[in-house]
Amino acid sequence: MPKQVKLKIDGEYVNATEGQSVLDAAKANGKFIPSLCHVQGLSGVGACRLCMVEIAGGARPLPACTTPVQEGMVINTVSERLSKYRRMIIELLLSERNHVCAVCVSNGHCELQDMATRLGVTHSSFPYRYPRLPVDASHPRFVLDHNRCILCSRCVRVCAEIEGANTWNIVSRGVNSMVAADLNEPWGDAESCTRCGKCVEACPTGALVVKGKAVEEMVKRTQTVSRLATARGGSR
Amino acid sequence: MKIQDLETLNAVRQKGLAKFKPARPRIAVGLGTCGIGNGAEDVYQAFASAIEARGVDIQMARVGCFGFCAEETLVNIAIPGKPMVILNRVKARDADAIVDDIHSGAVATGRALCKIESWDHLTGVIDYGEGFPDIPKWNEIDFYKGQKKIVLRNCGLIDPEDIEEYIAIGGYRALLRTLRNGEPERVIEELKTAKLRGRGGAGFLVATKWDFMRKAAAGTKYVICNADEGDPGAYMNRNEIESDPHSLLEGMIIGAYTMGATDGIVYVRAEYPLAVHRLEKAIAQAHAYGLLGDNILGSGFSFHLSLVEGAGAFVCGEETAMIASLEGRAGRPRPRPPYPAEKGLWGKPTNINNVETWFNVPVIVNNGGAWFTQIGTDRSPGTKVFSLVGKVKNTGLVEAPLGTPLKTFVYDMGGGTGTGKNVKALQTGGPSGGCLPVDMFDTPVDYEALAQLGAIMGSGGMVVMDEDNCMVDVARFFIEFTHSESCGKCVPCRVGLDQSLRILNKVSKGQATSADLDMLEDLGPMIRDVSLCGLGQTAPNPVLTTLRYFRDEFEDHIHEKKCAAGVCEDLFLSPCENSCPLHMNIPRFIQLYKENRLEDAFESVILDNPLPGSTGRVCQHPCDDRCRRAGIDDAVNMREIHRFIADSAYGTEIETNVMKRLLARRLPDSGKKVAVVGAGPTGLAAAFYLALLGHKVTVFDENSEPGGMLRFALPEYRLPKAVVAREVTFIKRLGVSFVCNTRIGVDKTPQSLSKEFDSVFLALGTWEASPIDLPGVQCQGVHHALHFLDAIAHDKDVRIGQKVIVIGGGNAAIDSARTAARMGADVTVVYRRQRQDMPAIPEEVDEAYEEGVKFAYLCAPHRIISDGQGGVKAIEVQKTTLGEFGVTGRRRPVPTDEVMRMSCDTIILAIGERVDTVFTGGSQLELKRDGTIKVDRHSSETNLLNVFAGGDVVTGASNVSNAMSHGKRAAEMIDIKLTGEHRFARLFQAFGYGQVPPVEPAAGDRNTSPLLTPLQRKSTFDEVMLGFSPEQVRHEAERCLRCDAKGECVGIAAE
Repeated sequence: MPKQVKLKIDGEYVNATEGQSVLDAAKANGKFIPSLCHVQGLSGVGACRLCMVEIAGGARPLPACTTPVQEGMVINTVSERLSKYRRMIIELLLSERNHVCAVCVSNGHCELQDMATRLGVTHSSFPYRYPRLPVDASHPRFVLDHNRCILCSRCVRVCAEIEGANTWNIVSRGVNSMVAADLNEPWGDAESCTRCGKCVEACPTGALVVKGKAVEEMVKRTQTVSRLATARGGSR
Repeated sequence: MKIQDLETLNAVRQKGLAKFKPARPRIAVGLGTCGIGNGAEDVYQAFASAIEARGVDIQMARVGCFGFCAEETLVNIAIPGKPMVILNRVKARDADAIVDDIHSGAVATGRALCKIESWDHLTGVIDYGEGFPDIPKWNEIDFYKGQKKIVLRNCGLIDPEDIEEYIAIGGYRALLRTLRNGEPERVIEELKTAKLRGRGGAGFLVATKWDFMRKAAAGTKYVICNADEGDPGAYMNRNEIESDPHSLLEGMIIGAYTMGATDGIVYVRAEYPLAVHRLEKAIAQAHAYGLLGDNILGSGFSFHLSLVEGAGAFVCGEETAMIASLEGRAGRPRPRPPYPAEKGLWGKPTNINNVETWFNVPVIVNNGGAWFTQIGTDRSPGTKVFSLVGKVKNTGLVEAPLGTPLKTFVYDMGGGTGTGKNVKALQTGGPSGGCLPVDMFDTPVDYEALAQLGAIMGSGGMVVMDEDNCMVDVARFFIEFTHSESCGKCVPCRVGLDQSLRILNKVSKGQATSADLDMLEDLGPMIRDVSLCGLGQTAPNPVLTTLRYFRDEFEDHIHEKKCAAGVCEDLFLSPCENSCPLHMNIPRFIQLYKENRLEDAFESVILDNPLPGSTGRVCQHPCDDRCRRAGIDDAVNMREIHRFIADSAYGTEIETNVMKRLLARRLPDSGKKVAVVGAGPTGLAAAFYLALLGHKVTVFDENSEPGGMLRFALPEYRLPKAVVAREVTFIKRLGVSFVCNTRIGVDKTPQSLSKEFDSVFLALGTWEASPIDLPGVQCQGVHHALHFLDAIAHDKDVRIGQKVIVIGGGNAAIDSARTAARMGADVTVVYRRQRQDMPAIPEEVDEAYEEGVKFAYLCAPHRIISDGQGGVKAIEVQKTTLGEFGVTGRRRPVPTDEVMRMSCDTIILAIGERVDTVFTGGSQLELKRDGTIKVDRHSSETNLLNVFAGGDVVTGASNVSNAMSHGKRAAEMIDIKLTGEHRFARLFQAFGYGQVPPVEPAAGDRNTSPLLTPLQRKSTFDEVMLGFSPEQVRHEAERCLRCDAKGECVGIAAE
């Protein structure tokens, strides 16, 4: 039995297991911390920076998904500064690529959209970048639309950590980063792909989708991924 | 030979000493990358051949770099028993002579930079000897004075490719002792006492980090040296490794033993081939001598060190990204915890330290932690190496104790810009650091002080910037850098920097708004607080600091579409146009003149500048400093060209025709009345444009004639009254009325004017002499320069004596001195600094010399001695020395006890002017503390409704063209206020003219205006500068490179 620790989240004492992340501990205690790159059961990467929380005694906010709980920690998940930062992050993501909800197969079932709604984002203060990005429809069953990708790397991790295929990775750097299959080939040519579809289920937006879906039809089963991870013993 | 113990180490030491300090002369050439770039290889070969040809017994050696990059190639000459002499700027052709000198036991003093009599390598002292009294000691010359070499202790002195030389100066003894003692805790204790902090920039306590790692579970552990130096302008680590690789190895081996590490890696940039080569050689030699590998020094301790070349990603300097890179993955950081000391390379405990941190270890072990704390500050002991680069005279590597103020680096060691331009800012810490303005140069360099100002110390880049650097561009450059080096993993860094860069690009193109600046200030703290790794967390620093300290520059780009530094290309036509306060289209009038279109040329000139005859004679010509032709030979003499155009037009048909053109283009009568107060250059310029804009303009002035300072302060020999009168007449003909002999504040007030007129523009100038606390100042025979010049201009009977002393160094001082000289007096100018510090136009000073004016520099007035009858008998001046650098980049004069008496009967004080505040007439007009009027920088509005102000009364005493630019801008702003429209641009005529730059620059030196001979000048007030001849103008116009022409260069396109 792992050791139990006690900490305080938003003024409430909660129990957690040693080694657990702050995010998981909060969730286990029914507390919501916004996040996009995290999927329970997959390793934490701290990429989206939405789950930043303030920890008493620390100068800068820390990501809840990769910060392990400690006995006596005092955590603040809500503050004016954090809300502002979180909204800016959503706005930056919306401005980065071409997120056009009205014509998206994931409209109504999109974590980015839900998070924007939940955090009260009504528009982007940043000018849209409108990059010209390809759509990879070479795979027989699935489509990768780079226009809707937020580079959360959930696909990369689920493929490596659950399926063990290591098909996905991220190439290039900075704002030119792109999800790529195998050695940056069309997905349909990627020999390592087992066509299991876990990446599609893990993807929070309409970037990885099942072929043939019309607007609003694509519904993801992210819980399945977490369940599989738990069944497998969980990597984290 | 494997070294096993002290005895064998000492044996190697003796062998090394025989090479390092031989019984015959030794010539060592500085062969760092910097030296090689300056031809050091050729120099080495030249010495070798010279020695061979002469068959003399001189030893040659290759050493690293002694740090003074601006003076490469450096060559060390060591003649037994004499000081080692460092020669600078040695060329291959000098080799023969130098070898001959050495052979005769001498060193040519003229070639020497400095000498070293004795050197403490901190592991051993090498005494060379005394002698060469004419050569300064190394720490007596400006660049090295104030430096303390701990990290650079061996650099440029020993052969980096010979381990025996390193051992000769006491190297590897600290390692031997550490292994013999077998108490790794003691090393950590010494480091703790030393309070050594990580030199990569973050400043974490090394002892704590090492202790953490030491206590991590045993088994495989790694130590890594971070030599992935990637900041633009930083090259400390490269030089350290190139010049002294064994100090790094010794530090790492001691560290590995202390922390229980089994393997080590040096992660070096692949762009540092020489460092890689020397390090590989050093590792091989250390293996051969039993200092690396299994069973080091017979102690049973084994440590394997390898070298990995980084592919150049900046982010790989971040420790977790570096580990990812070493594991063969993409260099992207991961969140900490777990920290590398717990889970690092291949999941094993790992310690990463910067090159310089490792360099400090052997000497701390050798000399003790307590010794180290004697240097630097209490919280940050020791030294730090900086690469001092940019707009600084003495570029190079400087190492100084922490806590040394920034100005010591920039001015004392760096010698300022060395170009006469002013330093504007210092950038520390590269893309993670910030830009600090000159008024913060008292800040001591340490981790906390710099962080508090928004910069960081970083790994040690120090880039000096002068007035030619645009701070918007600097911010843009660094964001572009971090933007392209961002790994892309976390959102704030990836997208936040992209949005920041887009905004900065807009600012530099003049397309941004104030809202964009707000957004930059919103993005900065978010990126800083939220980003995953150090790259993103510090990336906003360059933007936030430039916004904090140079906000005016951002606002100028946005509101005035102006880049004063002349960097943001979209915002100006040519460097000369950009530097001109009036933004005269200089290339246009030059080209129009070349096309024989004198009428168009004059129209072009006068539309940009309503007083071209006057500015053509007395402008400070900032255009000269920016002219690109100066890069070939000398600046184009633009002032004289426009003077010639004006002089050829006035009083001829050209003037009449251009007047007709202007009157035809004058905008219809607006029915608005504007009062301009002050008929000096500011008021005249405003009146000119306001009249053209269709307003009814009345100019008030307290003098009997318009012209202000042009008429009453500038002496006849510089600017004849007739020239000013001609220009005033021109403006009158445009419909401007002048009301003279009317003093505002007495006859009328700003309020009464604003009732009578729709708009009021205050341009009164600075006519009151600044007060001075000088005993005896009330004596008769003491004049204030402006009053003196004014009285002369009014043809009043001014009596001066035979011996005149003028106090000051500005234009008023020189004008007074030359005027007094023309009145037959013996004149001496007393100035508290040196000639090059004088604010006066240099040509004017030259001409004063020619006319027999004498100058006493470094003297400050002390007291005036009366002759007992109310007159002046003499003045006592205190000699001054130049002390610390002030914010203007000039040294502050410090009075000494030495007092000198100069007999005289007249004293003219030219120590500055200020605003006579009588004009406010009891109104609520808001003034600044110095009596100048407070206005909005962009709109020229005062706090009173419809009252604007400009010129010296706003800025304090300045010069003609600056003053006129205020009048020009105020006219535009007043018109916008009166009409609600932007109509100013309608005044300007578009000219079609040649847009082809010369294929080859026309040959020929800069033309200067012929002058009256000094003899002729001495007795008359006739104009001194006679102006160009037509041949001179034609030739000078041909010299222009046409930087404005953006079209293709026909000749080149044809190839």
